[in-house]
Amino acid sequence: MGNLAKLLTALIVSCAMHLLVAQQSEDENGHSEMSHQHMHHKMDMDRDGMVMHANDSIVPKDCERISEDFEFEIKVGREYAEVGYTFGYDQHEFRVPGCSRIKVTLTNKDDVRHQWMVHGLPRYLYPQGMFHLEVNGRRTRAGTFIVPSDDRTYLIHCDMTQHMEKGLKAQLIVGGSKTDLPSIPGISGSNERDNY
Amino acid sequence: MRVLHLLVFSGLLFGIFYNAPQNLLPANLIQLRASWFGPGEFRKRPASAEIEIPSINTEDICHPEVANWRKSFRIDDVEIDSAEDCRPDNPWDVAAAVKGTNNVSMSTLHQSLFAPDAIEKSQDRDGDGDPDLIEIRLEVMEINGNSPDIKGPVPEFEIAPGVTPGFWIFVPKSRGMSTVDFESNIANRFMRMPGPAIRVEQGDEVRITLENTHYLPHTIHFHGVDHPFKNPQGDGNDGVPLFSEHPVMPGEKKTYWLKPRHAGTMFYHCHVQPQAHILMGLQGMFIIEENRPDNWVQTINIGAGRVRAPSQAVKEQFDREFDMHYLEVDKELNNQIQNFNDPRLISRAVHRRYNVTQRQADYFTLNGQSFPYTMRDSLLIMEENQRYKLRVLNGGSEGLSLHIHGHKPTITHRDGVALSASQREQRDVFWLSSAQRLDLSIDTTNDGLNAYGPGAWLVHDHREASVTTNGIGPGGGVSLLVYKNYLTEPGLPKNVMGAAGLATFFSEKYYAGDIPVLAQMDPESFSEPVTDNQFTFSALRSPLFFVFSVAFICGLMVTVWVWRRD
Repeated sequence: MGNLAKLLTALIVSCAMHLLVAQQSEDENGHSEMSHQHMHHKMDMDRDGMVMHANDSIVPKDCERISEDFEFEIKVGREYAEVGYTFGYDQHEFRVPGCSRIKVTLTNKDDVRHQWMVHGLPRYLYPQGMFHLEVNGRRTRAGTFIVPSDDRTYLIHCDMTQHMEKGLKAQLIVGGSKTDLPSIPGISGSNERDNY
Repeated sequence: MRVLHLLVFSGLLFGIFYNAPQNLLPANLIQLRASWFGPGEFRKRPASAEIEIPSINTEDICHPEVANWRKSFRIDDVEIDSAEDCRPDNPWDVAAAVKGTNNVSMSTLHQSLFAPDAIEKSQDRDGDGDPDLIEIRLEVMEINGNSPDIKGPVPEFEIAPGVTPGFWIFVPKSRGMSTVDFESNIANRFMRMPGPAIRVEQGDEVRITLENTHYLPHTIHFHGVDHPFKNPQGDGNDGVPLFSEHPVMPGEKKTYWLKPRHAGTMFYHCHVQPQAHILMGLQGMFIIEENRPDNWVQTINIGAGRVRAPSQAVKEQFDREFDMHYLEVDKELNNQIQNFNDPRLISRAVHRRYNVTQRQADYFTLNGQSFPYTMRDSLLIMEENQRYKLRVLNGGSEGLSLHIHGHKPTITHRDGVALSASQREQRDVFWLSSAQRLDLSIDTTNDGLNAYGPGAWLVHDHREASVTTNGIGPGGGVSLLVYKNYLTEPGLPKNVMGAAGLATFFSEKYYAGDIPVLAQMDPESFSEPVTDNQFTFSALRSPLFFVFSVAFICGLMVTVWVWRRD
């Protein structure tokens, strides 16, 4: 009975969240025209890698000011992989309060490209709702972004084919969000599991 | 009493024989019954089922956003030929591939998908106006793979409608997302099989770095390309594990070194567990163009196909050039990678549980596509009284019997070696064994030998399995040699089958075998009959008697059994 109640609650919460997200994307679409023009200014690309849609100064409209500054120094590479995975970040979960400004420094310990990409950010500030850090082999790049105030869990991943699936998936938990994303190595289970 | 029982029993057996539906009796008993009692009465056959011929807008087939890629371009001083294809190659990709990603403007690089260090060209060492040091970076990607989060291939690359076998591919180093955008699971235009055709100039110093972004070890073997056994650093350079070198592990890189002295059409592929890796798609065409002054060659041709910026030597003799890469696919192998996520389980499935000696191909591709998708980007679009160069590679492990309707091409090179005038053969069927390359020259002079005049002429492997997609035709690597006046506006061939025409085949249902293949010609005659479960019972001569007899015999047997038990 307790399980059933839990399931029901989960169902209701997820329905509510879907509604909320749907609502939000409508808002965001209204601003997509404007932000599109800024897209190219926000891509900084060279042989070391690239930073897209960095934002260290514009405060999301639901925030009065930046609440706190964070600096994450993240490493990525094969040496951080969990057993049964190919790649890994040295940290797969990040927690900050709403309206935080986050500076991410990504150090790539492999010889190949890796990424640290956040999804679901407000589109009026971040085209496609995305902040993207990409680092060529054995290099380091840094970028900054500011999160909105609401409690929410954001997907972080490397979008090269199979890198997310083979270990490069993480989550950014803002405020009091209680939601875990699936298939985060060391943190959460998967929807589709292998049989051993 | 016993005689009476026997009589009743035989009577009932006879009744069953007389009344049994045809599908319950063996053929000789049916014939016997008909010869004794006549053929029975005529019964109407079921009506034809309504069929829904799928329709799709030709605009959607071709993607409206690529419409402005068809005209001729001059980008960063690179001349790019016009292309009438439904889905032509992106001209900025072509410009960056010709000039080098280090030499094009930032705006060109942005409009291509290349990483800034994907193709670096420098050092005109002989002062003939073109670069002689070429550095190429390749990554290894998986398309139609497994995801722990969702069912379905990730990222999706269809070879035909609804057909998504898994592939591993060499991809020129790119940047950003592997899909077309974040909302989509569709692979971007670089993430396609086979690997790109790579072009360099004879005598260039070529450094090819394999950045292994994949979860298994890989190498590159340059088949037929002049290369020393060891690179200048003293490392193995032949791509063969055990004898040449330690394979490139996930997350690591290695640079191969070539300075090809001989021009020709060659082949490259992974040599780790080749019985699996080559057939998983880790292969591409490798072309060494003859040395000429001011010869900027198109170093990367994504997915092979038309070459929009041909080399000087090709331009001297030919009006257009096409790269044609054939590969057949066994879904028993290629779908393994969709069943597991753990690389150890994938390795076991692909390398040990899959037995290549029992291989039977299901899909047949030209430049990574099967009909009707070959119509989008692998047509041979031609005109009368011109000469065309085809470079054909059979990357599969079965032979290929290439036939081009309406033309008799000439073999000019076999396996990258030019044939003398007396060795050259003009034929209409070309056998390409596994890994073989042929350079063909097509002369479109309408003289009854070289060509029979304009049309939309079929181009296909004449082994009949290969004109199907898992047994459903038309499919496989079927393409067309189509004259410009046989094209419609968005670059698709004209068809004579009416409104549905080509669109019928752009349907998952068609290749799932759910649409009667001849129905679009005449639905009444060739669609499927409605299923009729009543049909067998209505075929009984006397249904009531049949059911009664069967029930009576069953009852009798139960009675006897109960009586015996007691």
